[in-house]
Amino acid sequence: MNDFTHSAPTSEDCSASGNNDSGQNRSGYNNSGYNFAYLDEQTKRMIRRALLKAVAIPGYQVPFGGREMPMPYGWGTGGMQLTASILGADDVLKVIDQGADDTTNAVSIRSFFERVAGVETTTETARASVIQTRHRIPEKTLSNDQILVFQVPIPEPLRFIEPSEEETRVMHALEEYGVMHVKLYEDIARHGHIATTYAYPVKVDGRYVMDPSPIPKFDNPKLHMSEALMLFGAGREKRLYAIPPWTRVESLDFEDHPFEIQAWDEPCAICGATDSYLDEVITDDAGGRMFVCSDTDYCQSRREEVA
Amino acid sequence: MTGTGTRAANVRPRDWPMLDDGVHHSQQLFRQLLSAMSEPGTQQTLAVAELPAGAQLSPAAWAAVLTLCDLDTRLWVEPRLATPGLYEAVAFHTGASITESPADADFALVVPQTLSEVTSFAEGSDAWPDRSTTLIVVTDSLAEGNDWVLSGPGIADCRGLTLSAEAVPLMARLSANLATFPRGLDAFITAGHQLLAVARSTRVEARTEHAARIEEDV
Repeated sequence: MNDFTHSAPTSEDCSASGNNDSGQNRSGYNNSGYNFAYLDEQTKRMIRRALLKAVAIPGYQVPFGGREMPMPYGWGTGGMQLTASILGADDVLKVIDQGADDTTNAVSIRSFFERVAGVETTTETARASVIQTRHRIPEKTLSNDQILVFQVPIPEPLRFIEPSEEETRVMHALEEYGVMHVKLYEDIARHGHIATTYAYPVKVDGRYVMDPSPIPKFDNPKLHMSEALMLFGAGREKRLYAIPPWTRVESLDFEDHPFEIQAWDEPCAICGATDSYLDEVITDDAGGRMFVCSDTDYCQSRREEVA
Repeated sequence: MTGTGTRAANVRPRDWPMLDDGVHHSQQLFRQLLSAMSEPGTQQTLAVAELPAGAQLSPAAWAAVLTLCDLDTRLWVEPRLATPGLYEAVAFHTGASITESPADADFALVVPQTLSEVTSFAEGSDAWPDRSTTLIVVTDSLAEGNDWVLSGPGIADCRGLTLSAEAVPLMARLSANLATFPRGLDAFITAGHQLLAVARSTRVEARTEHAARIEEDV
């Protein structure tokens, strides 16, 4: 059964890859000076134990000993710690920020893991085994051998209604979620419709109300019975939670005001897609604007198909 | 300490297999454990060397201990599994402390029969359901089959499972999780190098119960 091989670092390893930042060998040493994937093994084990609890109690926020990462809170420190804890040498990593592979946050996190883990990275959704995301779920349906890691700013869906952590914990324990419906109802009373458009609360497997992170509500249906495991990490708040594959995820609504996703009057100006989430882009200072896919890989792959 | 685990006769801690390397091997094993817990009832084959002669654990259970336990965890060991040298091996390889109280254990190495004798494993509370004991169960055999029917998160429709007859007390305990959710016990069930998981969110039914419920629903 013991078919893993490994080699101890030798002086040859060091000299051969002396000026290669991402030089790796099977023992987990690398020339970045950090352990494989940055975090030490003890920290990874702590996060891994918490992840198993999170998966076993879908939607429940498990506390973990969040570590300081080499970037500020709000830039995805929670997602990064989860990615670092699950990532292996054979993984192919994709990182997106609001659907785009080429924005600052996505580029920095991708190059961070290239450097400290030496893993292969990609922008193609279908090729990735681990996808770290800020505020979007890729348009392409994920498969069972992929893991989606969300960056979460505020994990507690009840926080804006009840500021006390002690209180919200009791509310979750008692399944006391009426106040969340009151908030949605106040939307209807004020605006005539549910005005919440992102971080739209969901109920996981009929039990826990959960914040799906600030994804547009357009993405909420993709959470339901997804084939891919979804992990959520909040670095500042030091909470992680999960939705296993094939789990019921309902967006909260009312019989007479059913949950609806955003729709646009026009297709993507670049690829012509009518089924994807569109960003509004201002093109000049005379009121010109266009709508384009927020998922850059989806948009590009559609254009390549046409070409 | 209880059982016969206090003194190593001839088995030395280093006779128990260690991870091939601390970083990648543990990562590979963890991903298998994560996959197992995400999709209850699916089997994983864990790559770990054979255990020393006389050990009552399964290689898969030992692999789970090596992957998950460290200085921060407390382990409770069923006396029937606590063969000479096991405690020393746990201390040597993981640094985890052995507890005599099941209620204090983060992980418990058990056999199915244990669940009819010991009822005090930590289930967590409604506010902190994560403060519970995770069972690592050693059994004779795991097979796909339909003695037990699993459904719930991680399972598209339902998933069948066949265990040896001795597993009844274990499965009876795990099926009780549904009534106390989110409190409950999560379990890794192992035989040889094989491992599968049953999460507390998993609905566990004997085949006959399942058939009766389906009939009722129709």
